[in-house]
Amino acid sequence: MISKMGFVVGGIVLALVIGAAAVFFASGDPDGLDSTALIVQGQKELTQPANPDAEVDEASLPGSFEYEAPFPDYTVEGASKLTDVALMVGGIFLALVVVLGLGFGIKKIGRSDTP
Amino acid sequence: MHIPDAFIPIWQGAIYWLIALVFIALALRWVRNEMNEEKLPLLAVLAAGVFALQAFNIPVTMGTSGHLVGGALVAIALGSPFAAIIVLSLVLIVQGVLFGDGGITVMGANIINMGVIGGFVGYYGYHGLMRLTKSMYASAAGAAWLACLIPALAASVELFVAGTFPLVPGMISMGLYHALIGVIEALITAVVLALIASSRPDILDKSVGVPT
Repeated sequence: MISKMGFVVGGIVLALVIGAAAVFFASGDPDGLDSTALIVQGQKELTQPANPDAEVDEASLPGSFEYEAPFPDYTVEGASKLTDVALMVGGIFLALVVVLGLGFGIKKIGRSDTP
Repeated sequence: MHIPDAFIPIWQGAIYWLIALVFIALALRWVRNEMNEEKLPLLAVLAAGVFALQAFNIPVTMGTSGHLVGGALVAIALGSPFAAIIVLSLVLIVQGVLFGDGGITVMGANIINMGVIGGFVGYYGYHGLMRLTKSMYASAAGAAWLACLIPALAASVELFVAGTFPLVPGMISMGLYHALIGVIEALITAVVLALIASSRPDILDKSVGVPT
């Protein structure tokens, strides 16, 4: 058994190591959904890799909403790997903080509701 | 299986959002009633871990890659599908808004697939398999595999309704790729549960069945 603090710190460190490793080692192959979209659009066969340049043609798809995320694909244009790692670290901490913030926030509201 | 905005018309995305909001409201009530200061850190650490692992795409042959979804892991560890709904919803919001991973108008569909369906299949799959196998890790792996495959099939049905994928070829392709990606889901879910069980068994929900 490790201490509660040790568990939290250990968990965060593990997440950071995995996130940093993802920046360097994650596969660039399309995921299952994009692969399926490429098959539907005739750019890939079920059991064969697509051409590395193949991209899903979004113009022919039914969704019309467009949103430009500040860091698409977990990077910014011209970013170094170090910047990508920093973005990943930021995302990991944000995920941690929003869950903690929401959890403690709700508990606090819950307490003030009950006399 | 993060669906981008272009894949589903806005009005259909709005319907999925409404359904997702019902489950998010139920999940918020679960947080208020069930979470305590002992368990909240586990929920938060799992969110951080799920975020990191979802960025780590691993090749699964046939020119396709995939990553952990995490719904089963969170639901099993915290003893409720609603834990998965909260964690996956918040992770999907961060991913969609900041990193363009998964769309905004379709986020409701992504929350339903990975959080709601993933969470419920993971939780009930685990407890069903536990009764059959009596093995915590085999049950977790089996439930996690199902919690990757079934949400992917749900997504292919949603994309058929959207007019983006044909029904049968879409289900064959999504099913095949996610049956393979599910092996990653199964392995990581079992390993992370083993890590938690060996370091802080008391922090896992009693329903997991780890002796403390």
